[in-house]
Amino acid sequence: MDKTNEKQASATIWQIAKAVMSAFMGIRKKSDLESDAEILKPVHVITGGIIGAILFVTGVLLVVKFVLS
Amino acid sequence: MAAVHGDAHGHGHDDHHPSGIMRWVTTTNHKDIGTMYLWFSFAMFLVGGTLAMGIRAELYQPGIQILEPELFNQFTTLHGLIMVFGAIMPAFVGFANWQVPMMIGAPDMAFARMNNWSFWLLPVAATLLVGSFFVPGGAAAGGWTFYPPLSTQGGLGVDLMIFSVHILGASSIMGSINIITTILNMRAPGMTMMKMPLFVWTWLITAYLLVLVMPVLAGVVTMLLTDRHFGTSFFNAAGGGDPVMFQHIFWFFGHPEVYIMILPSFGIVSEVIPTFSRKPLFGYSSMVYATASIAILSCVVWAHHMFTAGMPTVGQLFFMYATMLIAVPTGVKVFNWTATMWRGSMTFETPMLFAIGFIFLFVIGGFSGVICAIVPIDIQVQDTYYVIAHFHYVLVSGSLFALFAGAYYWIPKWTGRMYNETLGKWHFWLSMFFFNLTFFVQHFLGLAGMPRRIPDYNLQFADFNMISSLGAFGFGLTQLLFLYIMINCIRSGEKAPQMPWDGATTLEWTHLPTPAPYHSFENPPIVK
Repeated sequence: MDKTNEKQASATIWQIAKAVMSAFMGIRKKSDLESDAEILKPVHVITGGIIGAILFVTGVLLVVKFVLS
Repeated sequence: MAAVHGDAHGHGHDDHHPSGIMRWVTTTNHKDIGTMYLWFSFAMFLVGGTLAMGIRAELYQPGIQILEPELFNQFTTLHGLIMVFGAIMPAFVGFANWQVPMMIGAPDMAFARMNNWSFWLLPVAATLLVGSFFVPGGAAAGGWTFYPPLSTQGGLGVDLMIFSVHILGASSIMGSINIITTILNMRAPGMTMMKMPLFVWTWLITAYLLVLVMPVLAGVVTMLLTDRHFGTSFFNAAGGGDPVMFQHIFWFFGHPEVYIMILPSFGIVSEVIPTFSRKPLFGYSSMVYATASIAILSCVVWAHHMFTAGMPTVGQLFFMYATMLIAVPTGVKVFNWTATMWRGSMTFETPMLFAIGFIFLFVIGGFSGVICAIVPIDIQVQDTYYVIAHFHYVLVSGSLFALFAGAYYWIPKWTGRMYNETLGKWHFWLSMFFFNLTFFVQHFLGLAGMPRRIPDYNLQFADFNMISSLGAFGFGLTQLLFLYIMINCIRSGEKAPQMPWDGATTLEWTHLPTPAPYHSFENPPIVK
């Protein structure tokens, strides 16, 4: 249990970002998925997902602004 | 296998249950409730289908022959509402009730009594909806999207529809909470999230979408109700409101709703294809992530339904780009299904035929969706038969074909009897032929400019409409064949072998006898 907690605590922002980006793309390797399931807590994924959604919307808006400029 | 023996001897538990009609009224068993959901949805499918036959009969020739325009509009409105809320959605909940507990090794749904209540709300809602035809002024006639001002001006039928939608929404929310809780808390030991069958995954994500958007629908119909009866002006420009706001709120529900109706189909197809290809699903993890991706994206694309309602160019481009991006995860799924079949030992029993038919036709619906997402094209085809053709390719040859695939696939497990394979194949091929006859030509009608929701049309549309109507009558009759096949299977089908599909690997096939006992997995299986 302690080990798991240590692992969960060690989930870096980059790992969360990679998992969320994969969810947006829809492509993920099986080994990465298994490590996601071990390391990431739901709160990580939900927070990451919300931030990811905001970034996605901002990104698309920036593209739109660029196209219209 | 210990669980099998435990279950096989577990039949004593239902001895004290009421019999006859009271068994069904009071049941808390997920299998009973699943069965009721499925029969209810099929009954509503026949009602909605009858309305469709009326629509196509009227459109068989130009001119008004059978339905007065007002009644025609009621038919189109109720056809949409009944098919979406009464047929497709409850059918998937029926599948979830039957399959989710068995696939994750749980004894039942988490909230068994709430499950009963979720179901029994449906006949009430259906009575309100169908009964609204018989009230003064008739049923709602402003289209299934019930845009104001038509929906604020309609008669009592609109109020009945609003209450019906409220009740259906409450039922869906309770069903979703039940499914989420069951999946998160009641999995057998060893059934980690990443070992869950894809049908369970897709339903988990769908249930979250339902919990997110059904309250939005409830909110918007309540605003409509207060606009109608309590002097508010949410959607009335004269009172400072905005009718376009209705469209935004409605479609914030409505677009995820499209995915609510297609994600569980993806789940069913992802079970059927590996079984009949005798290979594990290609890219399981990508399939899970692609489902999540589609669900997320579905919440930021709603205004592509409103390109002609008046929107700044920034908005048009944003919703166009976001919509087109959904093609990426959807493409991942189609690629994975195809790769699963690649070099598999494929056989083509009826469930597989419907699953392959699903992929083929859903891709056509997906492509026409991308076409509709392009603003300049959408402005041309908005409210034409092109859009009708597009969403019937998604909802009929998408959702409905997947439901047929699932029904044929799991009916041996549910009843212990096999369906008639020859008739099943006839059902598939006739459905395939008549479906395309009905809806493919509607692309041409739409591109030629025929508007939707009209009982009469100009002469140049006559030939394609006649073809489409003939196809629709054929498709309707073919579904009676499905009813016959199912009744025949339940009453006098051949006894199903323990494992009718030798490629099946999920728990209901590997750990339970056929037919599944009334109480299954009272002792959870150990999943390795």
